[in-house]
Amino acid sequence: MSAVVVDSVSRVFRSRQGSLRRRVAEVEALQDVSFAVRPGELFGLLGPNGAGKTTTIKILTTLLLPSSGTVRVLGFDPVRTPNEVRSRVGYVFGGDRGLYDRLSALDNLRYFADVYRVPARRKATRIAELLDLVGLKGRERDRVETYSRGMRQRLHIARGLLHDPAVIFLDEPTIGLDPVGARELRETVATLRDSGKTILLTTHYMFEADELCGRVAVINKGRIVAEGTPASLKALVTDRTVIEVVAFNVSDAALTAVRVLDGVESVAVEADDQAQVLSVRSARGVALIQPLLGALTEAHVTSVTAREPTLEDAYVQLVSEP
Amino acid sequence: MIRAFASGLRVDLLQLVRSPFDMVGMLVWPVVFASIAYLLLGSASGGRTLFSASLGAAVMIMWGWVILGAGFALDNQRELGTLELIVGAPTPLVVLLSPVMIARAIFGIYGLLLTLAWGRVAFGIPLLIDDWAAFVAAVVGCILAIGTLGLIAASTFVLYRAAFYLGVSLQYPVYIACGLILPFSVLPAWLGPVSWFLAPTWGFRALAEAAAGQTPWPDIGMCFALSVVYLLIAIPCLAVFEHLARDRATLKLA
Repeated sequence: MSAVVVDSVSRVFRSRQGSLRRRVAEVEALQDVSFAVRPGELFGLLGPNGAGKTTTIKILTTLLLPSSGTVRVLGFDPVRTPNEVRSRVGYVFGGDRGLYDRLSALDNLRYFADVYRVPARRKATRIAELLDLVGLKGRERDRVETYSRGMRQRLHIARGLLHDPAVIFLDEPTIGLDPVGARELRETVATLRDSGKTILLTTHYMFEADELCGRVAVINKGRIVAEGTPASLKALVTDRTVIEVVAFNVSDAALTAVRVLDGVESVAVEADDQAQVLSVRSARGVALIQPLLGALTEAHVTSVTAREPTLEDAYVQLVSEP
Repeated sequence: MIRAFASGLRVDLLQLVRSPFDMVGMLVWPVVFASIAYLLLGSASGGRTLFSASLGAAVMIMWGWVILGAGFALDNQRELGTLELIVGAPTPLVVLLSPVMIARAIFGIYGLLLTLAWGRVAFGIPLLIDDWAAFVAAVVGCILAIGTLGLIAASTFVLYRAAFYLGVSLQYPVYIACGLILPFSVLPAWLGPVSWFLAPTWGFRALAEAAAGQTPWPDIGMCFALSVVYLLIAIPCLAVFEHLARDRATLKLA
């Protein structure tokens, strides 16, 4: 039996717009989404902002109702029997919200331990274990408002694990963390995975999914567009080559010129400090470097490298498809 | 559930006393309300009348803190992102929200003491409590009844994002309906029966009668009875509004 089942789920958000002539606007956040997570698996839900990742998690954690479709968590229905689900799942979201700022970490954990029904005789030990796990021992009596974002995030993890849930939902847990903090958090997630917990992780950091997840699903505009192991998704683009160009002063006209070059399938642009990094995807074997440099004559190109496609390339291709 | 309630009460009281904004408000309100009561009645009124007016002011403070404080607290929980966590917890929502109301009603004791102290120091209103035991029981009954009435209002706060403004809109109608601002003699007759269903009416009567050494116990009994009734109404209301909030996605700020 799967630990988490999402079957043909759709979710429509309605909002009222206009002042005098009120009308209802509808946004279809999820459209016929289906996937399943096996017990003990770390499953990644990947997608850009607004793709429907958080909506999916909120439905699974009983905080939202689906418009249609069915969901099951450990065999229980989050819509009809929310309390059965609530006592068995942990929910951790990214960012610095979800804690009482004016209280210490210890006070936060004590409160949530009572709210999540941790037995009184286990409470102190459990809190000590978790403070140790997330590396906050020694700072537990400080007010949360004095914590860095990374410390808050680790405290979130501790809070989500207080009642030792069988299924853990991690919604972009490393968002906004510095590289060291994010790496430490990934190590904590890996420890949880190795201890046999079922985890559903949402992220838009592909290396994170590649490093941690056994299987992933890519969601875009509310639809699942691919599902499989990270290796199988990478295989979608193994017949491609990626040329990475680091350059300064790349104009919009130059970018357009690159996009229309023969053989170019897609171009992703990222800002890296002052420079721009262009990831140009093409079919394997296409001689593209000379035409590429020709299109970028007005820019200051500092490096050009050809590399094998990564999970990120597969992801970009999947979410770029119309 | 008792642990969750007690823990919630502790957390809410700690949050309150650590908020300079809340603490300043709690200092200003009793002073303002007691001053208004004195200035409205004038120094010519007898000590008993002025003291009774101070008690009315204290009940107004209690209801104001509960209803505005509850709205503010729910808005704050939304902003902090903790509302989703308590709604998504296995403990019933009524157990987790009632401490928010009760904590604010408990601060009503402080409001009562400060109102009476300010009346004594600034205007020379004497402290006239004839039956201390009944007075203490009246304070407890008043806190419970006002806190649980606030819980019914809080059920709507779970659904609506503008909880604080809903609280504001409920503050003065209850003052008026309970005869705390104007005497019933100048209010429409139909407000009389409405006031019977509102906790501040019985809370004020209980306090005033205990202070005057009359027969406060029926009023104290009404406070406790209303608390039970309010709780019985609040539980299904919370369940309905929680379901609606999950449907309309209003547990989060935006």
